[in-house]
Amino acid sequence: MSKTNNPPPVPPYTGPGSPQDVPPEPGSFPIDPATLPEPIRDELLAPDPVAIDTAAEELKDGLNRCPKCGSTEIRQKPGSDLLICLFCRNEWQGERVEEEFGLGAGLDELEGTIIASGARDIEADAAALMTFKCTGCGAEVTVNTENAMTARCHWCRHVFGVNEQVANGAVPDAVLPFHIRKDDAVARIRQFVGKRQMFALKEFKEQFTPENVIGVYLPYMIVDGKASVEVAGHGEIETRRYTQGSGDKKKTYYDADVYQVGRHVDFTVDDLPLESSSERGNLDIGTNTNNIINTILPFDTKNAVKWNASFLAGFSSEKRDRDVEQLRPHLEDQLLSIARAQVEQSVSRYDRGVRWEQEGLDVHGTRWVAMYLPVWLYSYHQPGSNGGLLHYIAVNGRTGETMGSVPVQQWKLLTAALTVGTILEGIALLILGNS
Amino acid sequence: MSDDSGLWLLALGPAGAAGLYWMLYRYYRNTDKSHAYERETAVDAKPVTGSDQKVNEIKGTRETRIRGDNVRAYRKRVQRIRSDTSEVR
Repeated sequence: MSKTNNPPPVPPYTGPGSPQDVPPEPGSFPIDPATLPEPIRDELLAPDPVAIDTAAEELKDGLNRCPKCGSTEIRQKPGSDLLICLFCRNEWQGERVEEEFGLGAGLDELEGTIIASGARDIEADAAALMTFKCTGCGAEVTVNTENAMTARCHWCRHVFGVNEQVANGAVPDAVLPFHIRKDDAVARIRQFVGKRQMFALKEFKEQFTPENVIGVYLPYMIVDGKASVEVAGHGEIETRRYTQGSGDKKKTYYDADVYQVGRHVDFTVDDLPLESSSERGNLDIGTNTNNIINTILPFDTKNAVKWNASFLAGFSSEKRDRDVEQLRPHLEDQLLSIARAQVEQSVSRYDRGVRWEQEGLDVHGTRWVAMYLPVWLYSYHQPGSNGGLLHYIAVNGRTGETMGSVPVQQWKLLTAALTVGTILEGIALLILGNS
Repeated sequence: MSDDSGLWLLALGPAGAAGLYWMLYRYYRNTDKSHAYERETAVDAKPVTGSDQKVNEIKGTRETRIRGDNVRAYRKRVQRIRSDTSEVR
């Protein structure tokens, strides 16, 4: 086997990394919970942890540290764009990247591929381990950028962080600081698991310690884009419906007009988040539960602040290992899906549905910004074949949106399903016996 | 007892058991969830344009929907047309 330096070609974007099902609306169930036995119904209908809307007022300020005293007791000064430190009364302009780099504007004029400095391609020989000379005492200190961006000098206790952008992709353009505190995250995880108790794995319940939740900064690419999409297919409109036969032989027939349908839509997307770590971006639900972390997107990325490693003190972090070109198929897939959702309204008159057969995408321009986003992660490793399965419960560090995977006790779930099935079958037999 | 409706009723038990199992499994494991970017991303779209042309008529079909209906399955990719004036890279 010879080793080549070229990365393998990117596989076509289906299957892993791209859940093919559009997720259901929050709080919707395939079976009406009212028809289910009471204990199950109570679990299903218990309240979910409250999530703040990403557009909420509470998030408009963006947590930052006072440049003068370092306190985080910062509020927006009413009626102005200034931030004020409640500790030392210092006032200053918050360094939000949105305004600083002009990321919110000009979506309509996007052309070509604009890559922010922190989102540049990772150099092949760049190492994750980085050695620094401590500015306090001159000792050599190593930072493993795979999982941390700050370190404490073991000689003089001076804390320093990786602030300059390095070629290994560890330093993003911006960071979105944690807004949800740890106790709050613990409470949300408790509430989430609280309504999934009856069929949960016994070991999971016994070992459940949400206090072990850790704050992690996960790497994302935040993409703005301008694109045009063309779709073509066939649609049908019902013209007549009639029944033939009588009694049990009654059958319904339909007449329909068939149309050749074409649609075109030009659109811009603002701040689409894509996982820029290949491990986190693998959403194969058969082997991992990364879809849980994917679900708590999006974040209020408008409030991201310019990169400063001190935000990461006390938190863990993961390093980016995907470049813009590797993420492009992922982006194109999402743009096509967004366009298909956009044109749905325009084909509502086809009451027998539309079968899209062809689609074409023209990306006019994209803008890529690398960002660290805050996530509270609780994990439980369920032993099993192929190394078992790591179950995550994730809390969005800004909005508090909570999602999780709770391992199930298969025999309990099967017993419940079979019991309900047996009762239903009994009713069916009763009806048949009487007819 | 050999009529149509009778046989259909017999499927009630297995179908109910499978349905309940599947629903509860998803409720605990949330395998069907992912980022609903179609709904949750700020999209600014120009008005949709397009064409509609009647090409055929169907008489007396028993199917309630068009075959292969994918109007709501946004993420099911169909044949991709590559235009010559593709994106600037």
